Amino acid sequence: MKLLKSKRKNEPEFIAVTPNEKKYIIRNPFGEDLKINGQHHDVKIYEDEEGFTVIEFKNKKYLAEITDKSQNKYTVLLNGLSYSFTIESPISYRRRKYLGKYKQTNRLEVIEAPMPGKIVELLVEEHSRVKEGEAILILEAMKMQNEIMTQVSGKIHKIHVKAGDSVAKDEVLMEIER
Amino acid sequence: MRIKSLLIANRGEIAVRINETAKRLKIKTIGIKTAKEPNALYLRLVDDVIDFSHTLDEIPEFLDIERIIEAALQCKADAIHPGYGFLAENPYFARRCEEEKIIFVGPSALAIFKMGNKTIAKQIAQRYDVPLLQGSQRTVKNPKEAEDIAEKIGYPVILKAAAGGGGRGMRIVEKASMMEKMFRMAANESEKAFNDSSLFIEKYVRNPRHIEFQIMGDRHGNYIHLGERECSIQRKHQKLIEESPSFALDEKLRTEMGEAAIRIAKAVYYHSVGTVEFLLDADKNFFFMEMNTRIQVEHPVTEMVTGIDLIEWQLRIAEGQKLTLKQQDIKLTGWAIECRINAEDVQAGFSPNLGIVEKVSFPKGKNIRMDTGITDYSVVTPYFDSMVAKLIVHAETRKKAIATANAALKKIWIRGIKTTIPFCLAVMNHKKFKKGDFNTSFIDKDMEKLYYNEEADEMLAAYVAAFDFAAELETNRSAKPDFERGKNISPWVLNKRLKSL
Repeated sequence: MKLLKSKRKNEPEFIAVTPNEKKYIIRNPFGEDLKINGQHHDVKIYEDEEGFTVIEFKNKKYLAEITDKSQNKYTVLLNGLSYSFTIESPISYRRRKYLGKYKQTNRLEVIEAPMPGKIVELLVEEHSRVKEGEAILILEAMKMQNEIMTQVSGKIHKIHVKAGDSVAKDEVLMEIER
Repeated sequence: MRIKSLLIANRGEIAVRINETAKRLKIKTIGIKTAKEPNALYLRLVDDVIDFSHTLDEIPEFLDIERIIEAALQCKADAIHPGYGFLAENPYFARRCEEEKIIFVGPSALAIFKMGNKTIAKQIAQRYDVPLLQGSQRTVKNPKEAEDIAEKIGYPVILKAAAGGGGRGMRIVEKASMMEKMFRMAANESEKAFNDSSLFIEKYVRNPRHIEFQIMGDRHGNYIHLGERECSIQRKHQKLIEESPSFALDEKLRTEMGEAAIRIAKAVYYHSVGTVEFLLDADKNFFFMEMNTRIQVEHPVTEMVTGIDLIEWQLRIAEGQKLTLKQQDIKLTGWAIECRINAEDVQAGFSPNLGIVEKVSFPKGKNIRMDTGITDYSVVTPYFDSMVAKLIVHAETRKKAIATANAALKKIWIRGIKTTIPFCLAVMNHKKFKKGDFNTSFIDKDMEKLYYNEEADEMLAAYVAAFDFAAELETNRSAKPDFERGKNISPWVLNKRLKSL
């Protein structure tokens, strides 16, 4: 990859935003003068001879993998854990904040089956309230019963499945009104 | 009779493990190929493969008794090793082997049957003076009967589905006034889950440890135990981390529990390797739970501290050889810990994480052992359980074993699927685990966070994402002229447009 040496006066800057709106301002991602949130960091990214993407930071090696990417939305697996970000430029970030103000607050969150399996039991009913992290149904896959949890708090708007149904991966199970 | 060829009626890491010892003993090994996993690692290691992948059958391959028997006869296998799970504890399968004069690598069908039946197993324990949790001998019919028994044995008690397992249909009852309600709930749940609403009642032990003893017996009346395994780190009754010895036992208690385990084995003329499971309460009283009449997932920790190959002895005993090891030969040296690496997403409630293992790299070292059924490009399918590997470490002390496990876990690199490694790391770094102060409620009560990460991790992940994004932007920019891509609208113009929305 060609390094982006700063011919431009402005050093390139990107903002990685987490789902909780935490910001990592990354300046000069390719350059030696890498700054994250204003601090200098010595980080190396490379592919090792076995084909792993490795990050070297403070004499430690980390295994990294981009597991999902669509436009500017990223999920990165680092040391076995997933982290999600939206990558923005300073300008698009400002725009995002601006648009954020007009975001509808009453959105429907769709819960999809994370894997193919069979619905064992529904733990909630339509119109009942749920809290983030609460189990909403039990899905059997790989001979194990898995509690499917909601990532959002809200009211169950609609349930699309019933106990005993077989579902495919990504099939819509429920909709939750935030 | 010498075993010259062995059919391994299992898959994954245990098939690999059995194959390894069998080959060392110059036994020809035969594996079973299924359509669900036609390229599995174990198939590349065995001497011969029987193909089960063509016929479509309702019964899963490794549960199809007649088909496996037929295959064994066809390829003239002297013996069948069932591994764990599947048919390992099926008395009918063991009997079919006996009938067809195939050596079943395990105990007799009768021993499997007796220990597999909760009521009979308990009666045996009682007859041979092995402490039992007090409770109902038979199923209880109604809340009134349950209340009477609870009055006798004292609260708290636990109601258990007679047909059940896995935590379903279970209710803890703290006092008499709660009995009626809890009884109905447990009965309903077990009716729903198992089509059978009958319940058992038992004294409930708060926060027990799960301690099990490895035993061995032969056909000549010799029995020994190989010490204990501590398996209290469990989630929903699934063991996740095991160790040997246990922090909770001293030499006196070890002898006492070991002898109790041997009494159970003797009572059923047990000839193979087996495991007797106990609950240990906070006052160090132990109670018989059940006997597992097979080799167990966590057997390597015992192998590490005793230096004995359990599969080898299982095969030798199956041949009819004498158990030449004596109890005084068994010494537990140092400390061993096993971490189960499951293809599960700890950030999503341990849900199975299926997919293709694109690349794996395991640590090596003289105190590190990896038992695994996966390699590069292995597929983790929904058809089998999610365990893909086990890390076992051995060191002089528990503290050193934890440190070794910690370092080794960080060197297991797997690309393509998420695993329980961050969970194992969280346990290894937990204050109470390090102190040895834990019991079966550890995960629920003591762990605030179920995975381990370091402060810089999120930042580094953010950097990876930004780096990739920037790199892509750069290639796009240099590769082709941008005509009307959104990016090329002057940001000032775009901002103005938005404001006028």
